[in-house]
Amino acid sequence: MDNATAQGTYVDHYASALWSIAGAEADPSAAADEIFRAAQGLSGHGELIETLGDPRIPGERKQGIVDDILSGHASKVTVAAMSLIVGVGQAKNLGAIASRVAELAADAEGEVVAEVRAPIELGAGQIERLTAALTTATGKRVQVKTVVDPSVIGGLVAKVGDTVLDGSVQHRFSELREQWG
Amino acid sequence: MNLAWTVILAQEAEQISEEGSSGAALLLPAPEELIAGIIAFVIVFAVAWKYALPALNATLEKRQAAVRTDLEAAEKAKVEAESLLVDYRAQVAGAKDEASDIVAEARDAGEAVKADIIARAEVEADQIRARAGEEIVSERERAASDLRRQVADLSINVAERVVGSTLDAEAQSDLVDRYIDELGGVQ
Repeated sequence: MDNATAQGTYVDHYASALWSIAGAEADPSAAADEIFRAAQGLSGHGELIETLGDPRIPGERKQGIVDDILSGHASKVTVAAMSLIVGVGQAKNLGAIASRVAELAADAEGEVVAEVRAPIELGAGQIERLTAALTTATGKRVQVKTVVDPSVIGGLVAKVGDTVLDGSVQHRFSELREQWG
Repeated sequence: MNLAWTVILAQEAEQISEEGSSGAALLLPAPEELIAGIIAFVIVFAVAWKYALPALNATLEKRQAAVRTDLEAAEKAKVEAESLLVDYRAQVAGAKDEASDIVAEARDAGEAVKADIIARAEVEADQIRARAGEEIVSERERAASDLRRQVADLSINVAERVVGSTLDAEAQSDLVDRYIDELGGVQ
């Protein structure tokens, strides 16, 4: 088993564990959504993830940092879930685990996850229109999960399974780079 | 000289005759001795003529024949030697010609090799020059391409920063709406 396969296996195992925790809540979908948002929020800060993934820092200290950040902003279940992942040294896989949890939650409802990255928080109307557009585009029932990602610069990037629909300014600049390079 | 001796003998004879007939008798042999001497001489002469002379002649003839043979052999040897000398001179001359030919051939071969080496070196030099020229052109193009890429990267990086800083929330929202519309329009 190579490193990437091992990482994928870890992600699947921890995602299943978190989905089991969320499934025990009254609204599993909402709990999974909160876990997704919290994990993506932490993953968006490179230095924080670097620190949380540092093997020289004790697990208790890392879990303390997560508690400090999330307490008051997320449910106890979400805080405990994040603390668990960071405590077992999987901080660098937090984003991937969150995405997998969202997929499991969507799958339970017969939907697929559309992970949408945009530099701003999308409004409810935008999410609704985007859901409709993506559902029509992919032919599947789509559950949009948004992630605020400043590196997108403008526009948005939607990832549905292996399909990527990139309408970001960053993508336009990348195309320009390829043309000029 | 003989005249002097004759005179001397005559003077002696006159002196002797003057001294008396007894002196001359001392000099002249007795007739019987003279006859015996003549007979002995004839016998010796005859024996010599009969036996010694043929042997002497045979020896002389043998010697003459040997000398002739030697002379002939010497003459033959001389002829052979002259023939050999001629042959030797011819061989020497031939060898000199051959040596000259060999030297000339070697010189020609050397010149040919030299010309070949020079020609090959010129071809290689041309190839090296051509390759160097191509490499220079290639390097120049690569450098220009790198420069273009770097300028493009720098420009795009600056543009990204400028765009990122100038897009306010409303502009961001407009961009999102526009893309959602594009997605809807695609359907």
